Amino acid sequence: MEQRLANTWQMTVNEKKFIETALLSDLRVDGRRPFDYRRLIIKFGREDGLSEVQLGHTHVMGFVTSQLVQPYRDRPNEGTLAIFTEFSPMADPSFEAGRPGESAVELGRIIDRGLRESRAIDTESLCVVAGKFVWAIRIDLHILDNGGNLVDAANIAALAALSTFRRPECSLGGKDAQEVIVHPPETREPLPLIIHHLPIAVTFAFLGKDNIVVVDPTHYEEAVMGGRMTATVNMNGDVCAIQKAGGVGVMHSVIMQCLRIASVKAADMTTKIKNAVSTSLYAYSPQVESYKTERSQRMIKRHTSTAAVDVSEPSHKEINVLLRHHLERSTIRSGELIASSSNAMEIETQLSEQDEKQRDGGARTFIGGPSNWDPLSKGVDSDALKVSLASRGAVRANTKLEESKIENLDVFEQSHPLADVNPVPPLHEVAAIDLQTKGERTLKDAVKPKHKRKKKPSSKTDAS
Amino acid sequence: MEVDRADGRTRNQLRSLACTRGTLNRAHGSATWSQGETKVFAAVFGPKAGMKKNENPEKACIEVIWKPKTGQIGKPEKEYEMILKTTLQSICLLTVNPNTTTSIIVQVVNDDGALLPCAINAACAALVDAGIPLKHLAVAICCCLADGGYVILDPCKLEEQRTKAFAYLVFPNSLASVRRKGLLQVEVEPVEHGIITSVTRGVMPVEDYLRCLERGRAVSAKLSEFLRRSMQLQAPSESPTAVFETHS
Repeated sequence: MEQRLANTWQMTVNEKKFIETALLSDLRVDGRRPFDYRRLIIKFGREDGLSEVQLGHTHVMGFVTSQLVQPYRDRPNEGTLAIFTEFSPMADPSFEAGRPGESAVELGRIIDRGLRESRAIDTESLCVVAGKFVWAIRIDLHILDNGGNLVDAANIAALAALSTFRRPECSLGGKDAQEVIVHPPETREPLPLIIHHLPIAVTFAFLGKDNIVVVDPTHYEEAVMGGRMTATVNMNGDVCAIQKAGGVGVMHSVIMQCLRIASVKAADMTTKIKNAVSTSLYAYSPQVESYKTERSQRMIKRHTSTAAVDVSEPSHKEINVLLRHHLERSTIRSGELIASSSNAMEIETQLSEQDEKQRDGGARTFIGGPSNWDPLSKGVDSDALKVSLASRGAVRANTKLEESKIENLDVFEQSHPLADVNPVPPLHEVAAIDLQTKGERTLKDAVKPKHKRKKKPSSKTDAS
Repeated sequence: MEVDRADGRTRNQLRSLACTRGTLNRAHGSATWSQGETKVFAAVFGPKAGMKKNENPEKACIEVIWKPKTGQIGKPEKEYEMILKTTLQSICLLTVNPNTTTSIIVQVVNDDGALLPCAINAACAALVDAGIPLKHLAVAICCCLADGGYVILDPCKLEEQRTKAFAYLVFPNSLASVRRKGLLQVEVEPVEHGIITSVTRGVMPVEDYLRCLERGRAVSAKLSEFLRRSMQLQAPSESPTAVFETHS
């Protein structure tokens, strides 16, 4: 429609010149340095598999759903993964509703290649009955606000949603075990997907005559750039995909430099995503609070009613993987993850400094609430507790299995030295007795005394 | 008679409301509206030059795009678009910007019952955020018939599926919430007793429908109050969330 052309936003020559001139002195319009990412906020919804990512002004939502389907004929024992990207007209007045445009298709393909072809998601574990029933995972990415660099934001949204997605457990039953019974979440705990690694997309834009490289372009920079390149790299340094579709030609030394920068950024981003995911699953945050307690209550009820249940192998392994992950990641953020951008060069040192700052920051934001968390200990506590509950008495490094609550304390005790700075044994005993006398409580209440106890070494003034 | 609904509410109790405006950067106006678990995102772009064919060029045109959470756009989405369009057309001042198109995009984040009323409320808040001239605001409510023949408000998805019939009702916002106290003189029937939109599903007797209308009208006053408060709370630079627990 011609009238749409009248509404398209044009970049003025002044703006273009300003952006390019500022870059010559290593300055970008929003004050960042050329290799800095914008502020990243990852939020999760109440249900599994819903994520909302904000990268600066770019806003993307990801939903993951699953369905039992027939597999492809040439891959009878693998599940399928499909990515649907919607460039909503909400994001940009130039996006049209209806058929996806070129950039929408390109975005979908980049994310698809990063996830599927690099085998980030284990599709063989999605098989239920070979040749008949497999799980088809569908990822819907809704672009809500186009502030530039949609690829990176959408990729993070997809990864975050996949990490928190849980598919229903199903078993074979009926006569000659050919019928598939899908268990609703009330009867059997849904299972997470097996994710081998997180492929992070890092987008570079080439601006100006000299092809100055910037990371994470805003939509103003995208309007004036000469070319762009997206490198999908994972934390191990593997290059999963590179996309450079046309645009200005750059020297191969520049490409190599970009790949090096990308691997550094990927490490940083992976840490942020993993922290956000683990925090959302176990954190005290108004949006996930009641869902978490409800979920935990369901789990507690189930465990006290079933005496000795056979733990199916895959879920047990997954839970162990989760536990290991969480023990490695002993730093925890608050329910909403706010990460500042970091320098490409000093990323490692800065990251540890930021951890310290944000840990305190996280604790500070919760002052005055019903329970003041020490994020450090909380992460280990909740993870250990959840794992011990979920594994139904078959916890990896655990010996005493009398009661689920005592069990929690034991696992906590074991992982305790890993995380805490000043372990205080006498207070631990008090907490143990306290816990037992309280009787039937929710998971949150079970965790509370430990957190209040934890605060004493870090000199907070809350009285338990 | 107190009745036990699944989530412990009484018959006339709404779920907790939350409204945020100005969340998006590119859109001219944006709002999120959540009623309990149902959450809808709305964005407004406009007015833009040009109109679709067969539209009256002497008036502004409203275009609604409904984006479901997952899946393709089908007939139900088209129906929602049409209902939203006609509802919003009746509250906008269409003669202020003739021969222009204002687009309203609605994105469903979560559907836990009463989706269309939630979307209408979100769209109205987004229009206010964009500064589109309006005659008055619209407040939408869902009333459904429980098994005992009484009316319950704001059902969740389970209740909506089990009910025999329900009605989505949209009222203009109550003037009492806007006018200063003391100036309110009701000589003729107040404007807020009119109905902008009514969509019903299922079969219900006429008396029950009239009862739904009555209930809806009573609640619309509360909703208008909440809407007014959430609009007032926001300074141009911030976008805080207004949360409201209603008990009527």
